Amino acid sequence: MSAQSSIYRWFPSLGVLVLGVGTLWAATDGFRALTEESARRLQVAESRPQVPSLLLEDMNGRILGLTHGAFADKAGEERQITLVEFIYTSCPTICQTAGSDYAQLRDRLKQSGLGDRVRLLSVSFDPEQDGPEELRGYAEAHGADGVLWNIARVGVQDLELMKRSFGLRVIPDVWGGYEHNAAMHLIDPSGRFSAVFDIDDVEGAYRALEERL
Amino acid sequence: MSEAEIKPHAGAVKFTMLLSGLVFVLMMALGLIMRAAQGEFIELDPALFYQILTAHGAGMVGVAGLSGAAIMWYFVGRYVQLSAAMYWAFLGLFLLGVVLILSAIFLGEFGGAWTFLFPLPAIAGGAWEPWAAATFILGYVSIGVGFLLYYLAIGYPVIKRYGGLARALGWHVVFAGADPADGPPPTIIAAAAVTVFNTLGTVVGAAVLVASLVHLLVPGFAVDALLAKNAIYFFGHVFINASIYMAVIAVYEIVPEYTGRPWKSSRPFIIAWSAILLFVMAVYPHHLQQDVVMPGWILVMGQVVSYLNGVPLLAVTAFSLGVYLHGSKARWDLGLSLLVLGVGGWSIGAIPAIIDGMLVVNKVMHNTQWVPGHFHIYLLLGEVAMSFGFMAWLVRKGQASEAGMSTLDKATFGTYLVGAAGFTMVFLISGALSVPRRWAVHLPGWILQDRIGTLFAALVVLSTLALVLKYAVGLGRGQRS
Amino acid sequence: MTRTLFAVLSAVLFSGCVVFRGELEADPVTHMLLQLPALALAGVLLLLATDLRFVKLPAYFANAITLVAVFAVFFWMLPRYIDASLINPFVEFAKFLTLPTLVGASLALAWRQAHPFLRGFLKANAISMLGVLGFLYIHAPLRICNSYLVSDQQRLGYGFLIAAIAVSLAWTFPLFFPSPSETGASQSKTNKVTV
Ligand code: HEM
Ligand SMILES: [Cu+2]
Repeated sequence: MSAQSSIYRWFPSLGVLVLGVGTLWAATDGFRALTEESARRLQVAESRPQVPSLLLEDMNGRILGLTHGAFADKAGEERQITLVEFIYTSCPTICQTAGSDYAQLRDRLKQSGLGDRVRLLSVSFDPEQDGPEELRGYAEAHGADGVLWNIARVGVQDLELMKRSFGLRVIPDVWGGYEHNAAMHLIDPSGRFSAVFDIDDVEGAYRALEERL
Repeated sequence: MSEAEIKPHAGAVKFTMLLSGLVFVLMMALGLIMRAAQGEFIELDPALFYQILTAHGAGMVGVAGLSGAAIMWYFVGRYVQLSAAMYWAFLGLFLLGVVLILSAIFLGEFGGAWTFLFPLPAIAGGAWEPWAAATFILGYVSIGVGFLLYYLAIGYPVIKRYGGLARALGWHVVFAGADPADGPPPTIIAAAAVTVFNTLGTVVGAAVLVASLVHLLVPGFAVDALLAKNAIYFFGHVFINASIYMAVIAVYEIVPEYTGRPWKSSRPFIIAWSAILLFVMAVYPHHLQQDVVMPGWILVMGQVVSYLNGVPLLAVTAFSLGVYLHGSKARWDLGLSLLVLGVGGWSIGAIPAIIDGMLVVNKVMHNTQWVPGHFHIYLLLGEVAMSFGFMAWLVRKGQASEAGMSTLDKATFGTYLVGAAGFTMVFLISGALSVPRRWAVHLPGWILQDRIGTLFAALVVLSTLALVLKYAVGLGRGQRS
Repeated sequence: MTRTLFAVLSAVLFSGCVVFRGELEADPVTHMLLQLPALALAGVLLLLATDLRFVKLPAYFANAITLVAVFAVFFWMLPRYIDASLINPFVEFAKFLTLPTLVGASLALAWRQAHPFLRGFLKANAISMLGVLGFLYIHAPLRICNSYLVSDQQRLGYGFLIAAIAVSLAWTFPLFFPSPSETGASQSKTNKVTV
């Protein structure tokens, strides 16, 4: 090897080591986010972006706002917090699981009396296929009442904007359906998107709601 | 032998053996506590029993590897120049690993056993926190990295000096018809074989450890349970076997000093070691015979290899040992006695292992104390005996050929032999009577066996303590003179 | 002559990766196991086409440059940036820039001159890491890349596992039968034994 035996010969390697670990640290938000999904969640929690006030059409053909405001439905006036899930009704897998997890959350909310201050939304990102009838089908399958828990679809013209604001990624799968990042998205009273939960993290979502109310 | 130019790192090795001896005694004491608890001599909280079981298993396997590694380092150092810095890095990482593992067990209350199979270590029903499991695994990783450095430090100079692993394994003698006298010495053949399979074992082990670590830290990621089980047993089996294969080098190098006949790399010897190289890696599925989802051919291979495993090497080693000793004027001392005992125990331990490797028997016995019975034989009466034989030789007085055996030596050796043989026999008998392994609390019908086992175990602990003390005193004397 | 060949090959590989970007990146297996290595290889060939191939470095410097490549590889193994390279043109550009330079050229420059223990250590770790990726991708309830299907992810996992086995065979075999020039037989200064 090198005849030079002073400790200086360690410096270049140590320098690269420090720089390398530092870069990886920075690139993964302190090793907290290795995947895009975790990066998205981290970023939401930290920057709490404003959600665009899009209009949705629900399973009964009524118009309602994604955030609160002018078009909130009657009961929605007092409902300060919205929890949104993105689905497509013909999904045979995740969206059905998501539905039953949502149902559990609804039961917990009803039991504890928080049921009339929260709004649960399942929003379809497949407006071409999901008309009010399909939405109603999903509602019936999971017992969504249209008040505490409503099923709606986004307008075709707003689809891209909605996907972008939530970091929603939808890709076609081999069976003619879609794979998508499934999660519960919390929109707080000021209309900011401020937390994300796994679809089965009913406990975590419930606690976050309780904290904010 | 070019002992004059190339000096083995005697100081580092002696220090390592002292550490190993102390840890052996300590871990044996833990074993005694477990056995006494099973026999209801003492009362032990089951949670604590499993922590002790974990410490005993991981600690013993680790220190068996460590002592084997020190022995191999010492003797390979007679033939090639090794890097002392790499040895200290190895030892440092090993000790760091020990600290992590002990903190995980005794601070973090980790009790997932040394093989921590699925759904352990992550899903522990609240018995320990994820950080404890993560610390435990990090400890393993640290030890694994240490061993990787160790094998690089051995493999590189051996490859350079002998012109590749094929020649270091002596293949030119077997396949190209070279004269066995031109073959490498037994130590190099053994070192080359162990380096290959234990490096692969370490690499596979590291993969499953890091994957488990990711799973612990980011629960969304998961590891396929069956694949993980395969990997864990592959590296577990390879690692514990490697410890014996490294320790047996002491026999090849030391026995000739007593008999005056050099241990030769004969053709059968070379072939046996090459066979071991394959078998050690192909035999691990005999641990998975109860996993019905495993492909049939793998299980059958595990069974077939299990018959063959060890036999060639054992036969060659035990047979040659007999031949070398027979009619030689070797004077028996503690070192030689322990080394010969080591080869004997290793050979005998193979028999119950082969029985357990049979699919039919395995279905009934694999989770009984038959299993600790067989591996305690080839560890306690095999690897550990060889290690203490090496230690006794390290601190011998004068030339090996002049040494003798004092009454104290004889008593120590006898106690060890009786204790270890009795202790392991009781395990085998209990196993044959279907007493399960890894049970903290035993049924009333088993208590008598457990108590007899405990008494034998106490003999082992006592005699081992005497061996360590003798070694420490010998080291001190060596220092002064 | 060979230089021109290297330069041409490098250019062909690189432009192939750029032109068939869409096709290669549509499937994570070709993305990770074909495009990324090909980009690195383009960097290797590029360096071999220049005088830099003769540069003699002190071992400690060669070690440092080798580590640069290691960290660059780590970075591009992060699912987050693989995802990002598909939707963010800056990240995609960085990928096409850094893989040939930081990985390929660095290794072509420094690998052979790095300390043999470091090389052996890195090779062993590379095999382990491919194994880890295999473990995690084959059996992930979690979608690791939002851009790819779970079934693709599993295929990629098997791809990593196969790569791990292939690489370990490819690296072990020469240890058994090194060419005479690579062992102690020749005491040449450039010591090329691959550990
Ligand atoms: C005085 C000596 C020893 C005693 C009293 C002892 C005692 C025990 C006991 C009671 C068990 C648990 C058996 C069961 O499952 O019911 C055990 C397991 C074990 N022992 Fe020992 N042992 C001794 C020496 C050794 C040595 C020298 C080694 C290795 C070098 C060793 C390695 C192991 C291993 C790997 C296990 C399995 C742990 C597990 O099931 O996870 N033991 N021992
Ligand atoms: Cu779905």
